Amino acid sequence: MSPTPDPPESKPKSAEPTDPSLSGALGQDTEGNLPHRGMRTDRGRLARWFTIRDEPGGLERFLFGIACILLVLLIWHILTRGEGEARIVDPYTLPSLKKAFGSFHELWFDRALMRGAIASLTRVLAGFLLAAAIAIPIGVIAGCFPRFHAFLRPLSIFGRNTPIAALIPLTLIWFGLGEVQKVMFIFLAAVAFIFFDTTMSVRSVPGNYLDTAYTLGARSSWKNGLRRALYFGLAYALLAAFGLHWLSEAPQTIIAEAVDGKVPEQPSFLTQGAFWIHALLGLLVGTLLWLPVQSHQAISKVLFPLALPNIVNSLRLLFGLAFGYIMLAEVINAEFGLGKIIIMSQRIGPREHIYLCLMVIALIAFAIDRLILIIQRRAFPYVSHGH
Amino acid sequence: MATDPTTPPVVEFRSVTKTYAAGTRRAFTAIKEVSFRVDDIPGHGEFVSILGPSGCGKSTILRLIAGLLPQHPPTSGEVLMRGKPVTHPGPDRGMVFQDYSSFTNRSVLDNVAFGLECDGMPKMERYDLARDWIGRVGLDPVKDLHKYPHELSGGMRQRVAIARTLILKPRIILMDEPFGALDPVTRQQMQDLLVGLWRELEATVFFVTHDVSEAVYLGDRVLILSNSPGTILTEEAVPPPNRPSREMRREPDFVNRVFEISSLLEKLEEAAQHS
Ligand SMILES: Nc1ncnc2c1ncn2[C@@H]1O[C@H](COP(=O)(O)OP(=O)(O)OP(=O)(O)O)[C@@H](O)[C@H]1O
Ligand SMILES: [Mg+2]
Repeated sequence: MSPTPDPPESKPKSAEPTDPSLSGALGQDTEGNLPHRGMRTDRGRLARWFTIRDEPGGLERFLFGIACILLVLLIWHILTRGEGEARIVDPYTLPSLKKAFGSFHELWFDRALMRGAIASLTRVLAGFLLAAAIAIPIGVIAGCFPRFHAFLRPLSIFGRNTPIAALIPLTLIWFGLGEVQKVMFIFLAAVAFIFFDTTMSVRSVPGNYLDTAYTLGARSSWKNGLRRALYFGLAYALLAAFGLHWLSEAPQTIIAEAVDGKVPEQPSFLTQGAFWIHALLGLLVGTLLWLPVQSHQAISKVLFPLALPNIVNSLRLLFGLAFGYIMLAEVINAEFGLGKIIIMSQRIGPREHIYLCLMVIALIAFAIDRLILIIQRRAFPYVSHGH
Repeated sequence: MATDPTTPPVVEFRSVTKTYAAGTRRAFTAIKEVSFRVDDIPGHGEFVSILGPSGCGKSTILRLIAGLLPQHPPTSGEVLMRGKPVTHPGPDRGMVFQDYSSFTNRSVLDNVAFGLECDGMPKMERYDLARDWIGRVGLDPVKDLHKYPHELSGGMRQRVAIARTLILKPRIILMDEPFGALDPVTRQQMQDLLVGLWRELEATVFFVTHDVSEAVYLGDRVLILSNSPGTILTEEAVPPPNRPSREMRREPDFVNRVFEISSLLEKLEEAAQHS
């Protein structure tokens, strides 16, 4: 008479009472084997969690993400529960959940969260666009012509290894305190990385595509190239003229609005000489940069399009980084922007705003990332993208 | 086979040697003193199969004709096409590679029309031609048109590769183990397809393969290369492919030819292992 059940081996397998839900929950089948790919159809949901590379559906992925957020909020809540000595973490270090989210109203209206976010985003966008507009064509050329790459490599290495923080004093010396300094800071921080990633993307296109292109008659012609490069030149001209025009006015407009709610009168941009000079400069730079690319069918029809999905992917990742960098510049000197709100919250309070700002930044960065990912999926249906 | 002695041969190798990484410690001579000529047979073209042990320089020879880097230029000797040295690759020498080389970012239609697009043919015109060729290589000219290469099977991809090469009507077609990755049944289908299309084009074909019966079936002539550094060992005229592959492969003559050449190759491979 033993009170404990017999060891399972002593019983015939068929007679063994098995609880399918239990064994499913343990991620094992009735014979105690671990599940693996190709054996999943009759497994429970839980067993699939422990299957290597079992891809969940969209909703399931989303729910797991929500679970993480809830967990973090729960830990936050537990750490800041109660009053005085009862609290695990004192209110100076970490405000309670309720206080943090309760201060959102003030952040939105008194601190003009929206305007700050737009200002920060614009700076990154301007600097990043400028960096991409210059680094992508040069990177493509370097990816195609190894000697040109060898020539630019010292600059590329230097640019990628310059500490980001050191760029702030430098740009302050070179470009003053205004908007240009922040845009140029982002430009300098991003340009070498975009160049490098573009070059690598082009270089990693397998050589057999190039061979194929040549045997199918891919040619080079400066004349045809010039025609196509001019389209790029026109786009650059528009961007340069309107971009720089807007950049020089937008800050004043935003400040004026913030101060007295009135927008100052501006002379029409069409009569401003700078507008046309910028346009001409853009046309020239754009055409020149894209001329070598467009002059070779092997590049414009094969290497560049094949590298493009990788280039866009790296732009997506780099933009996320750049969005983080702009805070660095804004924390040090800025009239407005998310970084400014953060530093103000630290100096004069309420400190709860810092946490909210960090969340807002993460949300914006995430939204942009998704947006680019959607565009990627549409533009490159032949590439498998991540989630 | 009567040839006109006044017209220069389509392709001629004059003691061509190719040494990779010449002048370094890793210098490696892939082919040595290779000489041969292929004459244009008017109204026919010639189908030259190239056989040889692995690594003997078959691809090297093909890519030298194509004018592709890094094989081009030869270390010494001359590669002539219609009497003129090959200087750069061009659409007059179409090439079909073993590994799939369809442009992954282009649909079947745009892959097949690529060469015409490079040539500046208007969109409507080149799409019409491409549709025609997509049908001729046995793809569905409606359903397969807008598929991307990743949605195609290996056999379909090679059909695309053949269509986009032949659409340009090249005088010389270079094929480097084009059916190497296909299963035997698909392979035979592709061989018959190729024979049919080649007849129409009357081009000179250089066809590298490891499959002796494929070489004997398709070729007018079989070039056999020796071990590396490769040289031309023998040249054999074989009966032209004037019957379907399934029929011809059963004939005793054909079987004997395949057997002879196979044993020659086996001897070569063995010699390579003992050297
Ligand atoms: N780019 C290169 N650099 C250095 N050596 C090379 C290069 N390409 C080929 N080789 C060498 O030259 C020799 C001939 O190569 P090739 O590709 O022409 O052989 P092959 O006859 O086509 O072989 P296989 O039947 O395996 O395709 C091989 O030994 C190879 O290692
Ligand atoms: Mg080869």
